[in-house]
Amino acid sequence: MTGGRAAGRTGGRMLALAVLLSVSPTVLLSAQDTTAGKKVYVKWCAGCHGESGAGDGPAADAMLPRPRNFTGAVYKIRTTASGQLPTDADLMRAIDEGLPASAMPAWKGRLSDAERRDVAAYVKTFSAFFSDTSQHIVPLKFASAPGGGSGAAALKTGRLFYDSIGCRKCHGDQGRGDGPSANTLKDDAGFPIFAADLHQSWRFRGGASVEDIYRRLRTGLDGTPMPSFSDLIDQKFLTDEELWRLAQYVRSLSPAQPPDVRDVVHAPQIAGAVPASPNDSTWARVDRYWFPLVGQVIRKPRWFAPAVAGVWVQAVHDGKTVALRVSWDDRTQSPDTSWLAFEQRVLETMANDDSIAPKAAPWPDQLAVQFPRHLSEGMERPYFLMGSATDPVYQWRWTSQPARVVAGLGRGLEQFDTLPAAPAGQAAYDHGEWRVVFTRALATPDTGNEVQLAPGRAIPMAFFAWDGSSGEHGSRMAVSTWYFLALDRPTSPTVFVSPVIAMVVTLGLGMLVIARAQRRAAGV
Amino acid sequence: MSAPLPPALRRYAGHPFWQAVAILVLAYVLVVWVVPLLPGSAIVPKSVVLQYMVTVLVGVLIYVSDSEARWTRFKEPINAMLVEPRLRVVRSGVLTAVTAVVGLVAYGQVKTTVAAPPNLRSIHPAPPTEITFRGKSITLTGLENPLRQHADSLPTYLAEGKQVYYRNCLPCHGDHLDGLGHYASGFNPLPANFQDNGTIAQLTESFVFWRVAKGGPGLPREGTPWNSAMPKWEDFLTEREIWSVILFLYDQTGWKPRTWEKAESGGAK
Repeated sequence: MTGGRAAGRTGGRMLALAVLLSVSPTVLLSAQDTTAGKKVYVKWCAGCHGESGAGDGPAADAMLPRPRNFTGAVYKIRTTASGQLPTDADLMRAIDEGLPASAMPAWKGRLSDAERRDVAAYVKTFSAFFSDTSQHIVPLKFASAPGGGSGAAALKTGRLFYDSIGCRKCHGDQGRGDGPSANTLKDDAGFPIFAADLHQSWRFRGGASVEDIYRRLRTGLDGTPMPSFSDLIDQKFLTDEELWRLAQYVRSLSPAQPPDVRDVVHAPQIAGAVPASPNDSTWARVDRYWFPLVGQVIRKPRWFAPAVAGVWVQAVHDGKTVALRVSWDDRTQSPDTSWLAFEQRVLETMANDDSIAPKAAPWPDQLAVQFPRHLSEGMERPYFLMGSATDPVYQWRWTSQPARVVAGLGRGLEQFDTLPAAPAGQAAYDHGEWRVVFTRALATPDTGNEVQLAPGRAIPMAFFAWDGSSGEHGSRMAVSTWYFLALDRPTSPTVFVSPVIAMVVTLGLGMLVIARAQRRAAGV
Repeated sequence: MSAPLPPALRRYAGHPFWQAVAILVLAYVLVVWVVPLLPGSAIVPKSVVLQYMVTVLVGVLIYVSDSEARWTRFKEPINAMLVEPRLRVVRSGVLTAVTAVVGLVAYGQVKTTVAAPPNLRSIHPAPPTEITFRGKSITLTGLENPLRQHADSLPTYLAEGKQVYYRNCLPCHGDHLDGLGHYASGFNPLPANFQDNGTIAQLTESFVFWRVAKGGPGLPREGTPWNSAMPKWEDFLTEREIWSVILFLYDQTGWKPRTWEKAESGGAK
């Protein structure tokens, strides 16, 4: 009995210790076993970050942003003031949670708690800066966010400072990373760096919350052109509250939640003609679907720096014609010769399958929407990466210059045969966003080559995007897998017949049961 | 049961009807919210939840009908709900709710919505007995990783395999070899998870060689080659590089390749 009680008490103490550890992981890192940390590092981290921690592992040149170089001890995502070392908790957070939209995964659940702490301690040994224990590394302290952050007045204040402190120079007027200075940006190592697209907060390396954004504004992203704005508060150029408003404004540019990837684009049937213009007000009322795109790494030459992170897709039809709007963020209206130098730096930075490194050229922007030629009853489809010689795909292709839409058959990456008939296409470029609308009759005369779009079917569909100013052309592009388009039929009133019958029958039976039970009760 | 319950609660806790309700609610919470939290578990599909709930309900009914007295007590609240004048509101409420649920379920059944067709595929389709690798014929049946015969050079091959992996496989199969690389979200089906006990742990190295060399386009029809983003690596890598990276996959994950003796005695084919 006593033994059990003693064990219980020790258990309680252990629990208290565990709670203590989980709230203050900062104090313990220096005590970690760096020998064990080195083993973990060599096995799991060196492939990207390099044996010597210089961010130059074998995978490094197929990544943009590049893996962190630990020898300089310069870290982007910190809670400490600009120019300071990160806290141990900062390092642990990056290891545990990973860095969104980069190649750094979350190691929590993949490596044990001890392994992660050991490896963090080992990473610190790459730089002598961490061995100076006289430094007191503490997070910047600040008050919490003022309320009313989503109100119009707050956002207006935020926007005012977005302009006045110079955010728009790099991030652009509407925040899509298309500002006038964006094409000059490089990090401290000289690698090209993109100003963040503020409409995709789920891709922010430092997190998507208002507090995360505010913290980035206060700490800056060391080693990048993103400065800290703490000194502007010290100089009384703006108040702390106004900086919070700016963070709230930036957050308001992105959807409240990261977009779900759904398989099927539902196109409602609308009365009247389908909207052919990319800026038609109809589009504001139609559900939009996000499809992530990734680099084409399947056929030579591969492409490891896809510029288009994904496309938003909407569709409507009127029973005869379908209109499909694809919108995506693109920093440049290509071809744009002011970006040639930046493009050249991207091409030189990235791993390349060709024997001769590609030269920058004023490529146009492009988008392809892909369908099979025929809707099959089975699950068989053409090869998702632009079909094959024996089983081609039917594609709509838009280019920004010459500004046109063509349709054709893709017979693998190498061959595209233009067809005589093309869908109608209209495009608009607006502050870092392309919106392209394709319209085509559901049924066409060329039934052999052009997909016949039938309502009520799942029609396979895929997307490909090229940003010319990032050097994308040919097989250097962003790709998607097969998704689906469904042209919905309007809900027919007959759909309600059987539910109503079921309800009437249920109600009748229920009343019968009650009546019988009551009769029996009265009888007794 | 040392802490005394308030009398009102005790009356409910001791009553077979409310016990049955509590067990059903508990079972639902367990299956829907607790099971997915278990390590290695996933969200339970709706049809399976229904199966579990029916099983629990049958068990509960067997229990309450086991003794006559319990069965009578069990029916009391139901009967009261049906006849008691003071429970009129509850009675109407239950009737309305049941009717509404039946209507909604029926609507859900008849309403037409287009869903993505199920992606049925054979994950490890039967390999060919022989393949042509860059014009050279390679017999897969009975083939072992030739690099394993040179035990002295294994560290060199492993280092080479690691280079090959990080330069080529990483974007999809990931730092942890679990199929969750930074490009994985763009593809369906997801890249193979080598940490899982259902992939390389169950395969011979010759099978893995075939999958690496021929990629998605080399899959038979039942492997849905049109969806696979796996490149045909013979266009990129030499035979030795592929065998090296296979060594690396097993070394890094700690799995042992399936050997041909086992494959035969296990009756894989």
